Parts: sequence; C-alpha cells; structure tokens
Amino acid sequence: MEIKRIRIGGLKVLEGGACVVSSSPRGEDCLSARLAAPLAQSKINLTFLTHVAGDREVLCTAGEAGEAALTLLKTHTAPQGSLQLQSGTAVLSLYPHDKRPEIIGNFIRSLARARVIIHGLASSPSAISVVLSARRKKAAVQQLFEDFQFSSFESPKDFFEAQPPPREYLEKVVATYQEKVIKVYWIVPQPDLDLWGLSISSSEILEGFANALMDLADLGLKVPFLVALPGLGSKEFIVACSTARPLSAGDQGLEVRRLLKQHLPEARPMRLTPVAGLFLHGPHFGDRYGIVHTMLEALEGAHVSLLALSCTISSISLLVRQQELAAAQLVLGNTFEAPVESPPAAASAK
Amino acid sequence: MSKKYVLIVDDDPDLVETVSMMLENKGYEVGKAYDGIEGEEAIKKRRPDVLILDVMMPRKNGYQLCKELKSNKWTQDIPIVLLTAVGEAVPTTTYSHAEGMATEAEDYIPKPVDAATLVEAVERLL
Repeated sequence: MEIKRIRIGGLKVLEGGACVVSSSPRGEDCLSARLAAPLAQSKINLTFLTHVAGDREVLCTAGEAGEAALTLLKTHTAPQGSLQLQSGTAVLSLYPHDKRPEIIGNFIRSLARARVIIHGLASSPSAISVVLSARRKKAAVQQLFEDFQFSSFESPKDFFEAQPPPREYLEKVVATYQEKVIKVYWIVPQPDLDLWGLSISSSEILEGFANALMDLADLGLKVPFLVALPGLGSKEFIVACSTARPLSAGDQGLEVRRLLKQHLPEARPMRLTPVAGLFLHGPHFGDRYGIVHTMLEALEGAHVSLLALSCTISSISLLVRQQELAAAQLVLGNTFEAPVESPPAAASAK
Repeated sequence: MSKKYVLIVDDDPDLVETVSMMLENKGYEVGKAYDGIEGEEAIKKRRPDVLILDVMMPRKNGYQLCKELKSNKWTQDIPIVLLTAVGEAVPTTTYSHAEGMATEAEDYIPKPVDAATLVEAVERLL
C-alpha cells in the first residue's frame, strides 16, 4: 500500500544523549535489581528504555551520564552478559500515531530510506520514537518531511529553527517531582492483544517490517505497542509489536502471519495470545529518575512477568500475559497515585 | 445539542493524549495542538469553549499566547486553563507563578496534573 505524505501533528528531537545496549543471560533476569535500581539510586534519568523478555534492553540517558550508567550496569551484569555504550545519540519522536500501523510503518520506512542505523524503537501512547546517531538526525528529519506533512512545520529548516537551544528543555525539567507516592495521570489496561515477536537479520531490513505494518492497516488492526532493539551481536534485530483487532473481526492471526512472511520471508514470526497492555500515562518517565524502578519492583514483588516494556516521551507501556493483568493492575494501582476510574474498553481499544 | 469543544495545547504528546481521553470520556469534543503557534492556528479555525494551555512550549510559550488572546477583543473571552511545572516543583525553571497570574488566565493548574482537578476546572469554566 503506497501512502504519500501523511498529515501528522508533530516531531521532536532530544539531543545530547548516550545509549546503552544491554543483554543478560536468559534466566538470570531481575530487571529491577540489574538495571533500574542502580540507575535510580544514582539519580540517573532515563530518556528512553525498551526491554523484551529474553533479557535485552536499550536505555538512553543524557550524554554526560552515559559512562556512569555503563559503569554501574557493569557491576550488576553477569559475566556472560554484554553492554555497549554509544555516545552522541538523539531520540527522535513522531506524534500522534493514534495506534495506526500505517503511521508507525511509514515512520520506520522513512528511517530505512534515510539509511539510519536504529539503536532502538519504542512507542508511547501517543508517539513512536527512535534512538539514532545525532549525526544522522538531519538525514532522518529530511526523509520524514518527504513522507509526512507536519502541522507546525513546512520544511526541515523550519523544524530545526524552531528547536530550543540544545539541552534547554532537559535542564528545565530534570528530576523535578518528588511526591512520596508517584502520581500517574492514568493507568489504562488494554486486554485481548496479540504479541508478535520477530528476529530479523539487521535493522537494515526493517523496511520490510514497515511495509508489513502499512498493510496491516487494511485489516483494520491497531498497533498500541512496539519496541525494537539490537539482539546479541550485530546480526540480529528484535521486534515486538502488539496488535488489537476490531471488536467485530475474528482471529486475524493467519492473515498477520501471512503479511509478515510476505514482507520478511526469512523471519519466523512468533505469536503469543492473548496478552494485555498496561499504559501508564504521563508519570513523567523522561524527566524523573526512579519511576521505572518503582514500577518494576512492584511487578516483580507481585510475581508478574514482563513480556516487553517501552518507555519514551513521558509514559510507560508494558505487556504482560493476559492472566497476569489483574495482578499487575492491582499492584500498580497500589504503588502509584492514579485515577481509579478506567476509560471504557472501547476508548482504550481505539 | 452540539458538544462543547475543548482545545488542548501542549508539547508533550502523551499529556495531550491523556487529557483528550479524560475529556472525551466526559463527553467533550477535543482539539489538539502541539505548540503555541499551532494552537493559535487551531483557535483561528475554531473558537474553543475552553482552552487548556501548557506554559513551556517551543516557538511560542503559553504565557505569550495567553497574553495575546486576552488582549484581542475576539478571543479575550475564551476561558483559559494554564498548565505548568513551576515554583517549588521545578527549582530550575525560569517561569514563575507571578508571570502566570499576570496573563489573566482563568485558572492555573500545576503539573503533575491531577485529572479530577483538571476536569473540574474545565467544567467550572463552561
């Protein structure tokens, strides 16, 4: 399906970052103790974090905190694990995606066309973000302007001219709120999702995945969750994405599998169903250390296993097995200060 | 009867999404904009019954936009709720409560926003 210049709300870039790609031997995972606790105790803010079960993560910090994060994580990672630091990174976010696969697909396809090396992809309830080398951000933005129309900006030049001085935003909002109980605007559950896991040979063939996503739009599917990150070594890239089907539609698993195989012939898509998403809207994830740690500690204490985690912009999105949704909701409701009322299922599934 | 129209202008897309969901749940129609200039354009296209306006935004901040709207006879009656992280919560910010009060906004809510407080503020102004 060929889509030209989708009109969309906005684009933002967070520069001056560093990125750590981490992996730990399977079965040894305790993400809270291994990763979140040491960073929180050292008051290191995360601007981006993805995790997929199988013990792999990509996290981003402000540039000057990258080395400190790496050193801390080294002391908590098993000898068989690996850690790689990439400095000079940026996080580029496009919004709102409205869970529409054609928007997310077009974003990924733009990055592929701009020949950007993707260090990580993450979704939030409104945005899709990529970690890339800051040196490639202009190429990425130029290609995004080829493929999208932005309400606020006519051209890449307009966009870059409108950016605040480097780091101004981070400095203004870093580590601000210190409530005893962390406030979350809303914890939104979304059950009855399918989780698709893919291992592909490199981020360079993400364009095939992008094209599959764009075709998923024809099935009426929504994509409320997506993460992608490098696997072990440089020859593997892991993608985890959840799909939500329209209430009126039956099981479209075979059709999704066919589309994925059509665009990624060498990939072996794995489907897990049903899974549930939990979306912690706006707990100021990106500008306050310790929120992820609080959440992981709570989930681990309740014996809820994370299937995948995506943190970007200001929100946290996670996937769990459907049978663990009630336990996860209960413990997160007790851990954070959040409205008890949930939006109607129809609203959350939009 | 047509739905009341609330416009939210904030450069945090997740906050825009959240507040939209909250207000749509209460039966309002919600418009979205992601910076001051886009917000200004959205107001020209359709006058909101209430405007929710973030302060720290690129291109044109919320204080600037609020002052402009309040000094224009065509827009001065639009009720405005300012959202911001200032004062005690953000020691490093250059924005102040005093500056916010001077904009003549109808309401002023600190971040992190309490959902119920925000919805109450909107309902009070309609």
